[in-house]
Amino acid sequence: MQELTNMIREVARDLLKQKSVDLIIGFAQGTMPLCSTPCFVRQDDEVDRLIWDSFCENNLAKYLVKRSNKIAIVAKGCDTRAVVELIKENQISRDQIVIIGIPCQGMVDRRLVESALNGKEIQEAEEMNGELIIKGKIFEKVLNRDEFLCLSCKTCTHRNPVIYDILVGDPVTEIDTKPYLDVAKFEALTPEEQGEYFSREFAKCIRCYACRNACPLCYCQECFVDSSKPQWIGKTTNASDTAIFHIMRAFHLAGRCVECGACERACPMGVDIRKLNRKLSKDVKERFDYEAGLSLEQVAPLSTFQPDDSEDFMLHP
Amino acid sequence: MKAKIIKKTDISSFLDRLVKDYEVFAPVEKEGLINFERISSGNEALFDCPNTKMSPKQFLFPQSETLFSYSSTKDTCELEVPPGPEKPQLIFGIRPCDAMSFTLLDKVFGGDFKDPYYLNRRANTIVVSIGCLSPKATCFCTSVGGGPFSTEGSDILLIGIGDKYVVQIVSDNGTKLLDKKGLEDAGKEKLDLAAGVIKKTEAAMNPGVETEGLKEKLDNSFDDPIWQELTEKCLGCGVCTYLCPSCHCFDIVDEAADSGGKRIRLWDSCQFPLFTLQASGFNPRPTVKERFRQRVMHKFSYLLDSCGQIGCVGCGRCITECPVNLDIRQVLNSIAQLEGVK
Amino acid sequence: MMAESKDWQPKIVAFLCNWCSYAGADLAGISRIQYPTNVRVIRVPCSGRINPFFILASLQHGIDGVLISGCHPGECHYLTGNYSARRKFALLKSLLEYTGLEEGRIQFSWISASEGVKFAKVIAEVTEKIKTLGPAKKLVKNPS
Repeated sequence: MQELTNMIREVARDLLKQKSVDLIIGFAQGTMPLCSTPCFVRQDDEVDRLIWDSFCENNLAKYLVKRSNKIAIVAKGCDTRAVVELIKENQISRDQIVIIGIPCQGMVDRRLVESALNGKEIQEAEEMNGELIIKGKIFEKVLNRDEFLCLSCKTCTHRNPVIYDILVGDPVTEIDTKPYLDVAKFEALTPEEQGEYFSREFAKCIRCYACRNACPLCYCQECFVDSSKPQWIGKTTNASDTAIFHIMRAFHLAGRCVECGACERACPMGVDIRKLNRKLSKDVKERFDYEAGLSLEQVAPLSTFQPDDSEDFMLHP
Repeated sequence: MKAKIIKKTDISSFLDRLVKDYEVFAPVEKEGLINFERISSGNEALFDCPNTKMSPKQFLFPQSETLFSYSSTKDTCELEVPPGPEKPQLIFGIRPCDAMSFTLLDKVFGGDFKDPYYLNRRANTIVVSIGCLSPKATCFCTSVGGGPFSTEGSDILLIGIGDKYVVQIVSDNGTKLLDKKGLEDAGKEKLDLAAGVIKKTEAAMNPGVETEGLKEKLDNSFDDPIWQELTEKCLGCGVCTYLCPSCHCFDIVDEAADSGGKRIRLWDSCQFPLFTLQASGFNPRPTVKERFRQRVMHKFSYLLDSCGQIGCVGCGRCITECPVNLDIRQVLNSIAQLEGVK
Repeated sequence: MMAESKDWQPKIVAFLCNWCSYAGADLAGISRIQYPTNVRVIRVPCSGRINPFFILASLQHGIDGVLISGCHPGECHYLTGNYSARRKFALLKSLLEYTGLEEGRIQFSWISASEGVKFAKVIAEVTEKIKTLGPAKKLVKNPS
């Protein structure tokens, strides 16, 4: 990790020296153990704030929208996919950004680690050789890093950047995850079981919209939630309104969600937000042979059609 | 102090008795999250646990509440104000930081304009706090006029000493609650133990934030470019405001259906872009910089002017829950250390 | 909560595109073809204009079934509106059923201006299906 940190700093220094970019968006040390934070570097003397570790979980593509200058961005696999979609949607132009791609071994979920410690506070944490050495006031524990990855990292299909200008670090092997097994399993449940699962999950939602605000692909000036003419859904935690909020936000991300997990990590209440997104990703892949963020050339699935798109869902009396 | 004593193992049966006369809310764990839930028996409650994810302001100021409902016919329109709760409520296991937020909310909702919805709930709420024996590194209650064993906003404060709690009676409501509950008085020995615990815990807390002179510094650095730097990573997600015990901004909406409907008050956030969007389309707080700065100013300057109290209780939820680790302590310390600003 | 009486009649909303399906419904009427009267028709310019929120709002307000019908592929008055609709609604139907909505509450069909008979058949089939499913409960907004 230290090696990658050094490489990122070197790249950043070069870019600033050559004036290739005005701004570098990367990660810096956070104010809590197991926590890194987005960092904006513009001067050479700020470069040493940049780090790389297993807690660089944020999707920095969020910060690209509406920028008019040249920017470098540190991007993991999922982040680069978000960048691809943003370019296709004209939110940033390709020649405006220098993508510093980093092959990712998955990010560690701080909350998973905390829950494994039964409420005992983490005072210090260190990562070494695939292990997390956690120290508290009266305890020390060594954990296997790979057992505490973020949920989205466990189903990741693109750890390596799909697009980059500079690659920092060696490519990693993709996890041989059987895609969408979890979705297929849930599809096999009865409607009652499915309904009950979502009722339980959405009951936790407090309508804070952190999921929406953390998502790099949610950049609408006016979100449908805030529409009052017409008012599509109410803003209380009413079960029906809340369900429709999540269903429609997922629907608006159909074929656009890159499953970076920013939404579920931002959620303070632990709602299983990505469940709906994964279903749509599977459907989009199976029906339209499209996966978000993999190709600058492939047209977004809901912006196009094929004359022979499947009609298996339709009524043919 | 006036105090009783209770064994920790007797808390559960004590709560069982209270459940008969009150709606009792206590910290409960569900799927790894600890939040206040209504309990029907004492053994559902946790009390040796980290602080709840959501703050208890929801019991005085719920996420949404109906202010009135209406139904109309061709010639008439009837308004109906929902009745208050049937039973008084008792919130058990609040931390002193959260209890202190009630004293601020009392000033906001009970000031020049008296909010009957809040005040009605407040008058029917008993607060039983538990002092913090292990404040977290992100806690900074002592920086903002509170403390791990502060009694502000509580009716009763439980101070843990070994296998017992000293039950400190803070208010008349507390006295009434313990009346005829058969708890023994706490002797001097126990009270001394409690005092020792309090001293030790307070001394072990992180320094937190320097609030001396902070208001003036904030007032004089409104236009300082440092705000751009400090707030650049903010997502405007609003989690800080939703989980904050002392944040109290709200929106009022109407939900109408046919010839009836209701007017509802619900939580709003100054971090949402629509918060100050004017009908003309102009927004005086167009970016996260203006909105985040506003939040800090409101809590650490404006509320001091209007209510004489800092609008922050140092609970640290905004620090631990912020998706991008925008640490308010860092922000305040940066402002406090600004040179060339008084 | 109302008990489901033997006389319960479902409320069904049909979004029909102006140029084909609505005309087809008209033809069914002119031809005096009988079909169940549970349907309330909403005319839209094109099936591609239909915002998924229309369907969800209907379900929220207690509508028991929603039918969306447009021109056959290749016959859209606006050339490609129904192709977009086809993709959108494939995904929406699948998503809603994944959340536990009963299969058959939302239906899609192509009905051309000359298919009065087909219109009646579709309405009959949809109404029958909704009758077996019973009143919609899943996304209904209860008074809070």
